[in-house]
Amino acid sequence: MASQPIITVSSLTKYYGDFKALDSVSFAVGKGWVYGYLGPNGAGKTTTIRTMLGLLKPDQGEIQIASINPAKDPVQALQSLGYASELPTLQTFFTGEQLLDFMGKMFGLATQARKEKIKQLLDLVGLEEWGDKKIGKYSKGMVQRLSLALALVNDPMVLIMDEPTIGMDPEATAHFRNLFTTLSKQGKTIFISSHLLDEVQRICTHVGMINRGRMVFDGPITQVLETFTQQWVIEAELKKVTKTMISALKKLDYVQDVKSEENKLRIELKEKKDLRGEISSEIFKHKGVLLSLNLHQITLEDAYLRALKGGQ
Amino acid sequence: MNAFQRIAIIVGYEWRRAIAKKKFLVLLILALALQVGLFALFYYFFTNPPPGFTVIGPSLEEVKAMMWLVGVLGPQSLFIPLIAIVIAGGSMSEEYERGTADILLSKPITKIEYMTGKFLGGLSLLGFVIALTTTLGATLAYGLFGPQESIQFVPVIYLVLLYANMLFFSMAFMFSEVFRRTTLSILAAIGILVASLFIDGILSTMYFISGGEQLYLEVSKWLPNWSVSNLPSFVASELITAPESPFVSMPGGDIQLAAAIIAVYTITSILIAALKLVKSDVTKRTS
Ligand SMILES: Nc1ncnc2c1ncn2[C@@H]1O[C@H](COP(=O)(O)OP(=O)(O)OP(=O)(O)O)[C@@H](O)[C@H]1O
Ligand SMILES: [Mg+2]
Repeated sequence: MASQPIITVSSLTKYYGDFKALDSVSFAVGKGWVYGYLGPNGAGKTTTIRTMLGLLKPDQGEIQIASINPAKDPVQALQSLGYASELPTLQTFFTGEQLLDFMGKMFGLATQARKEKIKQLLDLVGLEEWGDKKIGKYSKGMVQRLSLALALVNDPMVLIMDEPTIGMDPEATAHFRNLFTTLSKQGKTIFISSHLLDEVQRICTHVGMINRGRMVFDGPITQVLETFTQQWVIEAELKKVTKTMISALKKLDYVQDVKSEENKLRIELKEKKDLRGEISSEIFKHKGVLLSLNLHQITLEDAYLRALKGGQ
Repeated sequence: MNAFQRIAIIVGYEWRRAIAKKKFLVLLILALALQVGLFALFYYFFTNPPPGFTVIGPSLEEVKAMMWLVGVLGPQSLFIPLIAIVIAGGSMSEEYERGTADILLSKPITKIEYMTGKFLGGLSLLGFVIALTTTLGATLAYGLFGPQESIQFVPVIYLVLLYANMLFFSMAFMFSEVFRRTTLSILAAIGILVASLFIDGILSTMYFISGGEQLYLEVSKWLPNWSVSNLPSFVASELITAPESPFVSMPGGDIQLAAAIIAVYTITSILIAALKLVKSDVTKRTS
């Protein structure tokens, strides 16, 4: 890692009674990263995040945010941090504006600065018409939007979000995905736990995977795909598949194996290389008519599922 | 921002929370209605004394001039402690029950500052309620029974009332943090208040039956209600020594002991609450 990490979690262990929810979890997040924290239900994501913020007491291990332990000195450590909790529950008796204003106060924002910030944030999350309504009247997705606005009230350097887009409609999900990308471009460090793997794949630079309280992967997203890809596969759909075509393909020295099913071919490659050109000309030689040809690269989802298997 | 500013923000939050919630308003209105009801009753009694009614001791006229004391001290034995319990009993627990503790404690503030803000916020609310009942009591006394004697002591007695009520306030506050459930905390504190009144009753009966066995009195002093309900009247009888005062005949009590007992209960409760808050996890949602 080139620079000093912004978030460091080292050998974190947390028990709930006798139940070990985190088992020596370690990772580090560098400045400007978008770190996707993945894991199945009950893996320990929320537990990790709430311990990182000092809300839970770790049984072992240490947390540092910008070199400060938030449990020991929350005033310093949390001043430039934004947090959006999982399924946020907010003060329903306040209006959106009142709650934003109050949170602005907690970060020491002056009256005028708060006023501007509130307007700007309500616009940003698409709640401009709801600012003066009681939060108790908001829908689930609206609460989630407000919670994200609250997380941004202090213009944080580090943003920690626990499944921020769960329960949002597709339009809002896309909107916030873009927002996270924009924030990351502004140099903010983003830590996001999620189940939405394609979303993580689109926005994250780094990935951590946890299963049953143990880290099963931690590294750059490119490396996840690399690590868990055993083989690249080309899937071809033809008008008609012939036996000679299959045996010719099998003879190619970069092809491992060819499987066919009706008019579809699954060509397993020996190398991790895009060989679609070569394959299509070979098919063409045998008078095959190609309907489609896809290089099936491993998705984060495949990698994730494999990582979980390995971790169990 | 310094610690005082952060605490002040939480105090403000407690006020806005209380105002936004109907529960507090209902209590306030109830307190004021009770005060008015009490005076209406007295007024009726004074203007239509039952036939054959004679006042022993001070005359009716003399009592009239001290009616403000009834308004100021009247609600103290039960009603004000109840309000204190209701305010403090939800102070910490409601944030856990509604799941809002997370969003507050993930901000740049220490747990102790947060708790101090909550405590002072609730206490100042209680102070406001007592100020209202006290003012209303004194005003009604003046309006219904004419000029009042020694009324200049109202501010001092007000402060003593606030101090005395810290006992049940802190106790309910402690339960609120320890149990993290509002209903349970309020019931526990009310239970202690009622049990304390009950045991007090038994002990004074024993005192009379036994023909003045001092031990019973000594023990009863350590019950939480003794100091709370007596300190304000001890102070009042100490201050008001006018010959026409109905308190002339009333024996004063050990002000220092009562004040010390209140301090012991209050400080212990605050310490337990702080210890629990600092040592344990922030609970996500308990309801
Ligand atoms: N307060 C608690 N008391 C006891 N066990 C708990 C508590 N909170 C969480 N757990 C347990 O700890 C484990 C991890 O929970 P956690 O909420 O961290 O999972 P998660 O990865 O966030 O899951 P999800 O994707 O469902 O949000 C689970 O098995 C859960 O049952
Ligand atoms: Mg979770």
